[in-house]
Amino acid sequence: MAEVEYTTSARLPVEVIWDFVREIDNWAAMLTGYQSHEKESEDGSLWVLKGDVGAMTRTLKFRVHVSEWAGPERVVFQLEGLNEQMSGDGIFFMAPFEDEESAPALAPRRYNLFQNIGLVITRFFFRLFRGEPTRARTVDAGPGKGMARLTFRLTMNPGGPMGPMISAMIKPAMVVAAEDLANRIIGHLEQEHGSAQR
Amino acid sequence: MAQSPPSPPPSWDLEADVVCVGSGLGSITAALAAHDRGSKVVILEKSPKLGGLCAYGGGEVFCPNGPHMQDIGQADNDDDAGAYFRFLGAGFNDEPLTRKLLATYREAIEYTEKEAGVQWEAVEGLDDYYYPDAPGSGTGRYLAVQVFDGATLGEWQQKTWAISPHFPPAATHKEMYAWGGLANVTKWDYELLGQRIASDQRTFGPGMMGWFVKASVVDRGIEAHVETPVTALVSDDEGRVVGVRAQKDGRDFFVKAARGVILGIGGYDHNEKMATMYEETHEWHSAAQPYLHGDHLVMGGEIGAEIASVPPTNLAMFYGYNIPGEEHDGVPLYRSSWECGCPHAIWVNGQGERFCDESFYKDYGPRLREWNGRTQSQDNLDVFLILDGNYRERYPLGSFMPGMEIPEELAQKADTPRELAEKLGIPADAFEKTLERFNAHAEKGEDPDFGAGHFSWSNRLAGDPSYPNPNVGVVNKAPFYGVKLVPVGVGINSHGLRTNTDGQVLHVRGPAIPGLYAVGMSAAILDLGGGYQSGTSNMRAITWGYITGRHVSGD
Repeated sequence: MAEVEYTTSARLPVEVIWDFVREIDNWAAMLTGYQSHEKESEDGSLWVLKGDVGAMTRTLKFRVHVSEWAGPERVVFQLEGLNEQMSGDGIFFMAPFEDEESAPALAPRRYNLFQNIGLVITRFFFRLFRGEPTRARTVDAGPGKGMARLTFRLTMNPGGPMGPMISAMIKPAMVVAAEDLANRIIGHLEQEHGSAQR
Repeated sequence: MAQSPPSPPPSWDLEADVVCVGSGLGSITAALAAHDRGSKVVILEKSPKLGGLCAYGGGEVFCPNGPHMQDIGQADNDDDAGAYFRFLGAGFNDEPLTRKLLATYREAIEYTEKEAGVQWEAVEGLDDYYYPDAPGSGTGRYLAVQVFDGATLGEWQQKTWAISPHFPPAATHKEMYAWGGLANVTKWDYELLGQRIASDQRTFGPGMMGWFVKASVVDRGIEAHVETPVTALVSDDEGRVVGVRAQKDGRDFFVKAARGVILGIGGYDHNEKMATMYEETHEWHSAAQPYLHGDHLVMGGEIGAEIASVPPTNLAMFYGYNIPGEEHDGVPLYRSSWECGCPHAIWVNGQGERFCDESFYKDYGPRLREWNGRTQSQDNLDVFLILDGNYRERYPLGSFMPGMEIPEELAQKADTPRELAEKLGIPADAFEKTLERFNAHAEKGEDPDFGAGHFSWSNRLAGDPSYPNPNVGVVNKAPFYGVKLVPVGVGINSHGLRTNTDGQVLHVRGPAIPGLYAVGMSAAILDLGGGYQSGTSNMRAITWGYITGRHVSGD
């Protein structure tokens, strides 16, 4: 199993984030490696993504089912691999925070010092190699009026005997994917709502 | 209008004694040897990463009578080694080059271990391709590196290949065989491999090139530039090569080479014109990274270098396929098909007939090019991999493990051989007869028609050791699958620049071109006569890298 999580914050009311995230069509294309998606119902959709698996890039097809629309706090969805032995979960956590005490109810996963250093280095080199910016566009702005936090947690379970090996191979790409998705959503909303200046 | 090769610029962007073009095994060994002889060396690499084609390979180095054979209790001698090399070359070798290669390879490999810190170990139980039939053949003659820690590369960690898409990531040769080989791939220790990948522990080609990049760029501080393709050789009025013109950050980048330029560029697998013309087939795909365009032949040709060749039939070429949607570096990834080393799999051509020992690529490479003078065609270019239910219960097809559905874009599926033949567009009667005959013998583990399973190398690498004949099993259980195969090169090419015993490139009129050397695939494989076997390409890359690096530095 490979799990990654990324949290960012914005000068936006949490309801704005919720209104955006509750519609899959709004953010599916913000996924790293997005190729296409097709809505089957309010809760179900088919996604086609390109993802890095070790030295190669694979085209991955997923059936996505949203199991929880718990706005404005949380969206939970499951991914089922259609052409790969791979399943997973994605969760958006959203919460207002006007001071440190009102941090998100479901606190982001904490990494220890070494894990954090590892993630920073991984992100840096992964982006460098791909020719992408080496720093995330948004940073944690700290608590304040009309602030909200968005956390995206992604867990993937490659199946079959090679599962543990595939997990290790896909994790670097997942780190970037989680960070990019959260940042793209917030970046888009800040642009739209005129709050990009920090 | 054709452009003339450039003259020396008024001022150079960078000055060195030696410029190594490319960063594969030959080029980096040359850089090491030149540096250790006092030269200031610069490595220029076209791709975004160091390591070249070698980082995609198996990382085996063929080293008969080598330094670690005694570790595994094997005895060997130089006479046998020489006899075997000449058997491989089949008379197409250039004898002075062969003698120099044989006289130097062990010294060169020992240099990489003692001076450059590359940690080699013998691969126990892996036989020569033609063992025991061929004169001088033996076993345990391969070297592979010990596990390499990618973190020791520092800033170069992400600018080198950590994993090859063609070899088991993070497994060693020893483990691969201990775990039952490629046929037993579903039962390997993937917990261990996952842990190694997570901490960037490298093996096979990526591991080997990790050691070499560390020795050169990290430990010795040799200057290297990636994404800096060399576009021309720069010669002075006397015809001496004195530098190169490269492209860096979108502009010309001239690098002076006071002592010489060493071309270690790799082959031309991704130059369709060269590949189809020189490798004698109408279709060519490659498992190699998409940076091999034959630049050495273009740049050498521009200044009169002689292009020489060996018969392509005696090299390494595979049949393979692309899994739809699978890419590397932005282009489709072609895999060589090892499936036919396993039981319960055969190949048939467009006539629905078998035509080769599918478990031994040295047999099917020549047959792929077989010319039918009656029809003016290569009948074995149109080839299908046939698998049955027995196979799919036991073995993977590419990344599709047993039990996984194979997409239609990759494989046709049918309940009967006749139905499969119709889907593939091959004659059903002939296909049924082929299966009937094959199965009658396969029941007994035999293949009197093409001898599949004869070679112990094939048994060990791709066969299933639990079978009486590790490479043969009946193909009779539904469902049946058919995969269209295409020729897939692995960067081992028949044409290269002609070199002398010092590794200098020769002019078409005979003499050496001053200041120009070629190693690895840039140098025609005349030393081996094109008699390829796993590990010989790496062995000659190290050897000629060692020879040229010293020679250019004044030895």
